Amino acid sequence: MSPSSWRTLPFLLLVSVTSVFASSKSFENTAIVRTAELGGSVVHVTTTYAIKALDDGQKTYTVALGRAEREKTSFIEAKVKGSKEPLKIKERALDTSKDYHLVDITLPKALSTDKTLNLVLETVQTHATWPSPATAAQNEDQSLKYQTNLLILSPYKTSVQRTKVKTLSPRIISYTTPENAKDLTDKDVVTKSGATVTYGPYDNLPSSTNKEFIEKYQQSILIHYHHEQPVLEVLNLQRSVEVSHWGANINTEDKIDLYNAGPKLKGHFSRLQHQSQKYFNKLSAHVLPALTLHLPAGLSNPYYYDLIGNVSTSNIRIAPSVPKNKQGTQFSVLEIRPRYPLLGGWNYTFTLGWDLPLGDVASYDKSAGKYTVEVPIMTPLLGAVVNNAELSVVLPEGASNIEILEPFPALAKRTDIHKTYLDTTGRPRLTFIYKNLTVKHAESIYVSYKLSWVAHLKKPVAVSTAILGLFTLGMFVRRINLSLTPTRKV
Amino acid sequence: MSTAYAVPTDLPPSTVKNAASLLRIVALSLISGAAIASRLFAVINFESIIHEFDPWFNYRATRVLAAKGFYEFWNWFDPTAWYPLGRVVGGTVYPGLMATSGVIYNILHAINLPVDIRNICVLLAPGFSALTAWSTYMFTKEMKDPSAGLLAAAFIGIAPGYISRSVAGSYDNEAIAIFLLMFTFYCWIKALKQGSALFGTIAAVFYFYMVAAWGGYVFITNMIPLHALVLVLMGRFSDRLYVAYSSWYAIGTLASMQVPFVGFQPVSTSEHMGALGVFGLLQIVAFGQLVRSHVSSQQFQKLLQVSVVVIGLLGAFAFAFLTYNGKIAPWTGRFYSLWDTGYAKKYIPIIASVSEHQPTAWPSFFMDLQFLIFAFPAGVILCFRELRDEHLFVIIYAVMASYFAGVMVRLMLTLTPVVCVASAIALSNLLDTYIDPTEPTPVEDDTKSESEASTVGTNGSNAPAAQAPSGKKIKKAAAAVNVSGSALSDFVAATKATESGSKVKKGIFGLDVRAVVVFNTIGLLAFFVLHCTWTTAMAYSSPSVVLASSGPDGSQHIIDDFREAYYWLRQNTAEDAVVMSWWDYGYQIAGMADRPTLVDNNTWNNTHIATVGKAMSSSEENAYPILRKHDVEYILVIFGGLIGYSGDDINKFLWMVRIAQGVWPDEIQESNYFTNTGEYRVDDRASKTMKESLMYKMSYYRFADLFGGGQGTDRVRQQSLPKVGPTLDYLDEAFTSENWIVRIYQVKKEDPLGRDLKSANAFSEGKKRKRGKPTSRRRALVQ
Repeated sequence: MSPSSWRTLPFLLLVSVTSVFASSKSFENTAIVRTAELGGSVVHVTTTYAIKALDDGQKTYTVALGRAEREKTSFIEAKVKGSKEPLKIKERALDTSKDYHLVDITLPKALSTDKTLNLVLETVQTHATWPSPATAAQNEDQSLKYQTNLLILSPYKTSVQRTKVKTLSPRIISYTTPENAKDLTDKDVVTKSGATVTYGPYDNLPSSTNKEFIEKYQQSILIHYHHEQPVLEVLNLQRSVEVSHWGANINTEDKIDLYNAGPKLKGHFSRLQHQSQKYFNKLSAHVLPALTLHLPAGLSNPYYYDLIGNVSTSNIRIAPSVPKNKQGTQFSVLEIRPRYPLLGGWNYTFTLGWDLPLGDVASYDKSAGKYTVEVPIMTPLLGAVVNNAELSVVLPEGASNIEILEPFPALAKRTDIHKTYLDTTGRPRLTFIYKNLTVKHAESIYVSYKLSWVAHLKKPVAVSTAILGLFTLGMFVRRINLSLTPTRKV
Repeated sequence: MSTAYAVPTDLPPSTVKNAASLLRIVALSLISGAAIASRLFAVINFESIIHEFDPWFNYRATRVLAAKGFYEFWNWFDPTAWYPLGRVVGGTVYPGLMATSGVIYNILHAINLPVDIRNICVLLAPGFSALTAWSTYMFTKEMKDPSAGLLAAAFIGIAPGYISRSVAGSYDNEAIAIFLLMFTFYCWIKALKQGSALFGTIAAVFYFYMVAAWGGYVFITNMIPLHALVLVLMGRFSDRLYVAYSSWYAIGTLASMQVPFVGFQPVSTSEHMGALGVFGLLQIVAFGQLVRSHVSSQQFQKLLQVSVVVIGLLGAFAFAFLTYNGKIAPWTGRFYSLWDTGYAKKYIPIIASVSEHQPTAWPSFFMDLQFLIFAFPAGVILCFRELRDEHLFVIIYAVMASYFAGVMVRLMLTLTPVVCVASAIALSNLLDTYIDPTEPTPVEDDTKSESEASTVGTNGSNAPAAQAPSGKKIKKAAAAVNVSGSALSDFVAATKATESGSKVKKGIFGLDVRAVVVFNTIGLLAFFVLHCTWTTAMAYSSPSVVLASSGPDGSQHIIDDFREAYYWLRQNTAEDAVVMSWWDYGYQIAGMADRPTLVDNNTWNNTHIATVGKAMSSSEENAYPILRKHDVEYILVIFGGLIGYSGDDINKFLWMVRIAQGVWPDEIQESNYFTNTGEYRVDDRASKTMKESLMYKMSYYRFADLFGGGQGTDRVRQQSLPKVGPTLDYLDEAFTSENWIVRIYQVKKEDPLGRDLKSANAFSEGKKRKRGKPTSRRRALVQ
């Protein structure tokens, strides 16, 4: 840190302390309910805050996340309950000395005294679970562990809070019974019913974003549960999207490095055992025999291959194209079977691609003279997290005035020139880098650009010039006589 | 002059010429299209994939070339092949094929056409087949006329004998070599005909390309000198021959020595000595001619006799001396096996173990060439008719190639072009004769005037007028008249003369006779096309990496076990894990699984291969030290017993035994692997050595369990297997593909307690034995 920033640090601290102090009085939580839906590599956490303003003109509400929790969280969204519009979020700088992390939410309108509002904070955690035991034989079950904090921290007083942990199957092996939470409630500290473990309700908690409270009450809880689906991770996803106006086509190609992050295979793979398990329909949870993907409707020329060629074990059901203005949830369904069943700890890399009619995803704005193309960032793979993603969008040759509208900011962006298919000047290529994408990130980037009619003609002119040149050359070559003696007819 | 059917007579000759030229171009493009299209069955039925075994190496090398450039490729040392020896790839490869693909790749990428290198490799052979058709056209045109050329081009375009080596995906040296062969021969003929140093040089350049592309270049190296030698012996030495041969040999040899794999072989091995000898002979003969023009004939006779004896003796002594001293390498084993088909089986089992090195069976001649094989002798005889210098070439080529094709299946490939050329000559002669509309005047004698008459009347056919005589009789006579100077043609002419002396009305009259013959010929050609299409689709378009079976309703089911297993190796094993397999799969493992292999299809080190053979045919205890010494991590075997894939390792096993026996005759004996009655069996009656061999154990490990207590059957060998399958102590089953074709085993590490693995296993088994029956553990897994 430079000296100047050292100098400003006390000031910053002061500001943050005062703001916490100021805000701690401005709201009161009448109820907080946190629901963690445990999956494989992705955990959805939904926290509902029922808040009451104690002061007039309150516009900013602050929520607190545990520090470890924040590090695992790859997606945060806050909404007013029942509304679809996400609220503006501002994260405070991560302070490593504190066990919590504050996030400011700007409310849609200022609340006056005693007015209430229900806020829903949705977060997605990735890599939050781990297989335990870390290895499993081919016929053994898969169980995972998930750890989180017992209490939801808040800078405000809380009347009642509870935490629900839901698993997909009711087979929960164990869960922590918190010891020091007895004085927070007069009922059971923890109850389990079916696939849900409920911690709380805990009543009348003071403002908890302070060291004393955390040291006294906060503790971590551990859930050990069976998970019936393979834990999938996409180590790398490289999506390249190529827009072609000549072909009225948009091509999408995904290079996917799939990894089964479940318990590693103990011993060796036995085909005999696999076949008998499959015959009796009793495949272990950590074995992935096939995948289903939802691709856009109206696609054509789908392909699925890997490093050594086409993979013949796939099926696709193509839904007809949906007109742009019509709402339709129709999608084509692609079922792919990797070359071999994917057992715990195994890798499989493959490439998927398809074409879409440009009209389905692009539109032309006459007044601005610009085209706009919708580019989905990823195709969600059910329950999988994408560790690293790179999206590159190749626009037509000669596209200019490029503007981008992103649903969330990329970690890195760059623009360069990509040359392909008889290009002369090359096409602009936009590249976006992401980390830890989940199903919540499966949104679209909108890219708009200008394309003059001269740019359209570039390619045919270049190609015809080249061919004309060849013919002209041929014409001259034919007329050159290099022989020393006058040619005689044979 | 009467004609059999109406022929327009008022066409100006230039129109006819232009129309003929246009038709030829159209015909050639259609032939090229057909040649390419008929090779695409493999891509359409399966996919754009590299086939078989050797092409996988070529493909892998091409990728290196395309990715890293030519110099890197030149210096490429591949440590993953022939582990732990490695292979100097740049110096042990014919780089022509890879260089060709590399150049095409770079050109396409230079004009921003991002074509995948795999697609270039896959489609290279069909592309070059179009060029082969064109060069065969040019070659045959020199022999007869353009119409024969077109027929020859059509034949070579679709003849299964050539398609078998050039379907899309068959990315092997032969893919471009046949084009180079035909084009070199064409240039040679052209050079010889014109005495042109330019064409001699072009022939040399293409010879160089051929040397860089295929080991079969030796065929050219001996064909051209043989042709030259025959010409000299027939007294047809000419300045044209001298210029053509000298320019070809001098430039071609120097150029061919630039290929590192060939190096100094052209001056140091026996295979190349013929060319050198003929080169020397031509110099002497030319010198003799020069001397003769200056010296009186009596003196010259004496000089000739003495010098022939002296030079002959000197040459023979020099050759013997150099061979004895080791300056000239003696003939290689592969060469001997061309003369003695039993040689390889006795001395080099590794060559004999390759199916394409077996002698050709009769049906495969028909399979590969259909009716061409019958028209072929007729064409060769027609070459005797005119017997110009270039016809001699076809005759020699026909004789040599027929012999070689009989010795080795693989050399059917070199026979195919000449069969196509000769058949085209025969068929074109037949068609010329019967399509020609000229009615012979019913005069009994005076053939000469008839032939003159016929030259006047023809302008309807494409063939040049002089070459389209009207009747068989006249044609023969005309041929006799055209050619003079050789004793043989004189003889032919003489026999013709006696025949023509008879007073019978001869010739072809009317339309009916013509129609019958022409329709028959067209029928023959049509069936040829059907046959070629059928053979190509059924026999030659399987990638062999991917297998297809058809369901009862005719639907195609793809069996993709090879790639499944290779991909598993590639994705889920350590990058430096050494994989041992029989050498057949070496290139595929390197190409698809990208893992080090002990042996591969390069087969340069017999001992190394024998080591693998020994490991496979020994018992576990004996094989284990070999495996550990070679750092073998995985063993891959091919087992077809479940679905009836007959090309599996158990069927190849005897070759492994034989090759191992060649090196370790004390430890491995072939007879031990047979039953007492001398049968090769895998069931209960199999010999003890067989049952204990690593190969047997790996193939049938847990196979019996698949039948859930019932009687297991090996569907390849149609034998019932023992109910209790073999057990493995030193290996673990690591992966088995869906249809059990590929089975991969992991070699266990040494026991941490220092026991040998067998007793360690027995110990752990023993603990379990207390709880139940010995086989309960294995049974439990099935249910």
